[in-house]
Amino acid sequence: MSQNLSSGSIKEPIVKDPAAEADIPAGYGKTESYLLPKDPAWLFLFWEITQNTLDCIKQQYPQETLNNARTIIRLHDVTEVALFDGSNSVCHYDMPVIFEARSWYINAPQTGRAYIADLGYLTADGQFILVSRSNQTILPPGHISNVIDDKWMIVEGDFQKLLKLAGADYIGLGASERMQVVGQRWKLTELTPSGAPSSWSSFSLHLDKVEDEDIWLKADCEIIIYGSASKNAIVSINGKDIELKEGKFSIRQHLPAGSVVDLPIHARNAKGDKTRHIQIKALREQGK
Amino acid sequence: MGNEKGYLALVLHAHLPFIKHPEYPDFLEEDWFYEAMVETYIPLLNVFENLTEEGTDFRLTMSLTPPLCNMMEDPLLIERFRHYLNQRVELSQKELNRTQGTEFEGVARMYFNKFRRYQDLFEHRYHGHVLEGFKKFQDMGKLEIITCCATHGYLPLMVHKESVNAQIKIAATDYRSRFGRNPRGIWLAECAYNPGDDKFLRDEGIRFFFTESHGILHGTPRPKYGIYAPVYCPQTGVAAFARDMESAQQVWSAESGYPGDPRYREFYRDLGYDLDYDYIKPYLHSDGVRRNIGMKYHKITGKVALNQKQAYDPYAAREVAAQHAGNFMFNRQKQIEYLSTLIDRKPLVVSMYDAELYGHWWYEGIDFLEYLFKKIYYDQDEIKLVTPSEYLEMYPQNQVVQPSMSSWGDKGYHDVWLNSGNDWIYRHLIKAAERMMELANKFPNAGGLLCRALNQAARELVLMQSSDWAFLMTTGTAKEYSTKRTKDHVKRFNELYEQIQGNRINEAYVYELELKDSIFQQIDYNVYSSAAKEAVLKKY
Repeated sequence: MSQNLSSGSIKEPIVKDPAAEADIPAGYGKTESYLLPKDPAWLFLFWEITQNTLDCIKQQYPQETLNNARTIIRLHDVTEVALFDGSNSVCHYDMPVIFEARSWYINAPQTGRAYIADLGYLTADGQFILVSRSNQTILPPGHISNVIDDKWMIVEGDFQKLLKLAGADYIGLGASERMQVVGQRWKLTELTPSGAPSSWSSFSLHLDKVEDEDIWLKADCEIIIYGSASKNAIVSINGKDIELKEGKFSIRQHLPAGSVVDLPIHARNAKGDKTRHIQIKALREQGK
Repeated sequence: MGNEKGYLALVLHAHLPFIKHPEYPDFLEEDWFYEAMVETYIPLLNVFENLTEEGTDFRLTMSLTPPLCNMMEDPLLIERFRHYLNQRVELSQKELNRTQGTEFEGVARMYFNKFRRYQDLFEHRYHGHVLEGFKKFQDMGKLEIITCCATHGYLPLMVHKESVNAQIKIAATDYRSRFGRNPRGIWLAECAYNPGDDKFLRDEGIRFFFTESHGILHGTPRPKYGIYAPVYCPQTGVAAFARDMESAQQVWSAESGYPGDPRYREFYRDLGYDLDYDYIKPYLHSDGVRRNIGMKYHKITGKVALNQKQAYDPYAAREVAAQHAGNFMFNRQKQIEYLSTLIDRKPLVVSMYDAELYGHWWYEGIDFLEYLFKKIYYDQDEIKLVTPSEYLEMYPQNQVVQPSMSSWGDKGYHDVWLNSGNDWIYRHLIKAAERMMELANKFPNAGGLLCRALNQAARELVLMQSSDWAFLMTTGTAKEYSTKRTKDHVKRFNELYEQIQGNRINEAYVYELELKDSIFQQIDYNVYSSAAKEAVLKKY
């Protein structure tokens, strides 16, 4: 990257920085994964898997087993599990992933729980082969607690009034206005206002216009999988049974840029002797 | 406790990321610091001086973040700011002649008077060290200065608690060296709280922090007083104060916020663009490109094009600021009166803002504060200004509640600092932290050049952890600069790591980085040792 980011960059640095031209590494040559909290419903997992690790696994298992296996993230709910050993979680959720993605946003099934993500192979006969285990992350509850403190009781009606006054109905919403303004602060040095509407006057009318004087665009993507099945059918999406409402179902999932979502949908009748299968795959290319 | 019905705690968060480029004679992004000095920090000190001289008592809580303190005390930046201020005085003096007999005469006079006053304070009262001023008002008991994470690091996204411990310890050490006592409170960067991090605060003697309202509303068990009294964290007893949304919205609201009044100063109509090029050129950067220079002669006027803006009237604008201060106080009185009917103690309203909003963004925000302090002191006795420390002295018994993870960012959690536009940085931030721990554990008693290299590696790590870079990547402003800063610190850290591990430390390289990334002269890399973290966790 060039050093010419500033108006003042007219002199060479005193001593040349030997690292300045090398870009930062894509990885650090170690198989590992980290799980970060994003909000009550979302986790971010990123990982690096070295060729060496994959080669070791290949040596331990028959090629056919691995060829027929799917690569997945197995998200373990480890709430109140003192020492997680890979099998003692409260429950787990599998989602298909390609290792090359290197990171993934995970929609957590429940808020307020502790999670560990395992990356690995799920073989055709249901065996899980671990490649990398993440750290543990605890998500916030995202709602008012149901726990009441005997020593600090309050009349329920008054508590509801206090909540309303405190803005409990619009948590996190007012912050975008602050962000717009604070973000603008940094823009000053690169701003050419030429006839643009004024900050506060335009700000107080149309938040959108503060973003950029000429044009701006924001977009994100969620996919909705929906369908219906025969009465009494048991339907699973990605290995997890889902609830049918009047024979219909729908789930929403975030689709971050550069991700592939692979969602096998299975239905079986109550007796379990007949099945149907539909595979849905969505790819969102890494856009700018 | 007197006859007041409740309390108001005003909290200003003053912060800028550490930006200093000695390798260039003139660097654009350093302007953020100079602008904030002349528009916010010194004007605030001026208000404190005025109030004190006329005998008006006031209380204000302010974070002065460690990067900001480091910049305020940096000899190079002080020198460059002196030049910046001198130029403003010079230009505003020239402007007195140019505007004589025009509708801009009054506003030109205002700038000249203000700049000269600020120069006088900076040079003669504080001798170039504005921290002297802030410290003076803290020692008088009117201002409570709190610290912040060392480089405004975003704690909930730090996987290694060693990193959290280091952000707090480095900040507290820096605070003690500047203010001669322990920091009693902290502004967690972006108000981002992660349960358990209070252990590291407690270990440094920090007794309180602030959260967004749902930090407490979503706490466990239910907070009896909502956000109108602090709560204590379990085990540590560190107090958490939550932000009041109602008073925040009065300033920030898109519909009804004070700063949008048409009589206030228009931000975007700037002399840097309006004046003859040859006349203004000496006051531009060395590349000669027209930019804002911070002198603006027009008012917002209304929703009209910039060239339709009308002349600014400083007296009328001050009058509006006084009205807004009155309105703000009236609303707090009503709020506290109503709250008193719901809770069985005197309610506390905590109003929290970015300091730079006042003066830099909302030009008359400084006048607003001055009027607010005066009106609260002279015109009423229903509400009283307090600092969090004073409140805790009055109310040492508080409910024990585990606050929820939260931040004051958009949507209330970490989205702003973790999204598809900036999530790539965490791979490097977390790896660097892990490597720093590895080095600290491996070399517990380093001396000489090895010690310098280790300390510099710690500086590069904390600098890359500034939440500002991820924030700017999300807002899209200064994205190139923030990306480059992140990468530069990652590269410098990795280079130092390789040199240290390979036992081939290049002294010239270390020296160069010590000059450039000179934050925290007294840093001790041992704060990253796992033993340091374990020692804290064992206590609580």
